[in-house]
Amino acid sequence: MKSRKLYNRIAVLRKERNISRKELAEIIGVNFQTVGYLEREEYNPSLDLAFKISEYFGLPIELIFSTEPLKPLIEEIIELKNKIGGQ
Amino acid sequence: MKQKNSMNRQNRKLWIVINYLSIILILCIFYTGKYYDWPVFVIVCEAASFILLIFSFIKVFIKTQLWKMSHTSDKNLDERQLQVMLNSLKYSYSAFTIIVLVIVYGFAIAGQGPIDVVIAACLLYIAHTLPAAIVGWAEKII
Repeated sequence: MKSRKLYNRIAVLRKERNISRKELAEIIGVNFQTVGYLEREEYNPSLDLAFKISEYFGLPIELIFSTEPLKPLIEEIIELKNKIGGQ
Repeated sequence: MKQKNSMNRQNRKLWIVINYLSIILILCIFYTGKYYDWPVFVIVCEAASFILLIFSFIKVFIKTQLWKMSHTSDKNLDERQLQVMLNSLKYSYSAFTIIVLVIVYGFAIAGQGPIDVVIAACLLYIAHTLPAAIVGWAEKII
C-alpha cells in the first residue's frame, strides 16, 4: 500500500527553538538521520512518533503535520484568529 | 543507533559493485588455479582479489556502519531504520534464493555434483552482506 505524503513543520519549529537535529533526535528517541528524513518529508512517522514530536513542540499534531502543503505558521494563526473573531 | 556516514550514495554503489566483483574474481581465479595446478601468478592474483574483498568490505560495510546496522538488535534501531532493514531483508531473501538456485542447478547441470566449500563460503558471505548492501544501494543517507 502506497501511503500519502505527509507535509510537516519540523524543520521550522526546530530552528525556531534553536536545537540541532541530534538534540531533537535524542529527545524523540530516533537516529539523527531520521530527523533529516522527516524534515525533508521523505519519511512518514508513525502515530507514536508524531505524537512525541507534537508533545515536544507543545503544539497540536495538526499544526505540525498535514496531508496538504503547509502555509507559514503565522498565516495559519491569523486565519484561525479571523475564524474565531468572525464567530 | 548513532552512525557516521562517510560516503555518498554513488561511492557506496561503486564499492558494493567492487566488493561483489571481487568475490566473482576470487571464484574465477580459484577454479583457474585448481585447473592449472596453482602457478605462482594465479596465487598472487587470488591473494590480490582477497585483499580487494577485505578492503572493499571495510570501506563499504564497516566504515559506513552498514554492517552494524544490519547485524544489530531491533531494539537499537528506530522505526525508520527498522522499516529500511525489513525491506532490505525481503529483497535480499529473494535475491539470495535466486543466487543459490542458479549455482546449485548450474553445478548439477554441469555435472559437477554438489557445491564445494569455496562456493559455500562465498554464499555465506553473500547471505550476511546482502541486506546491508541493499540498504547501502537504495538509501540516500544511512
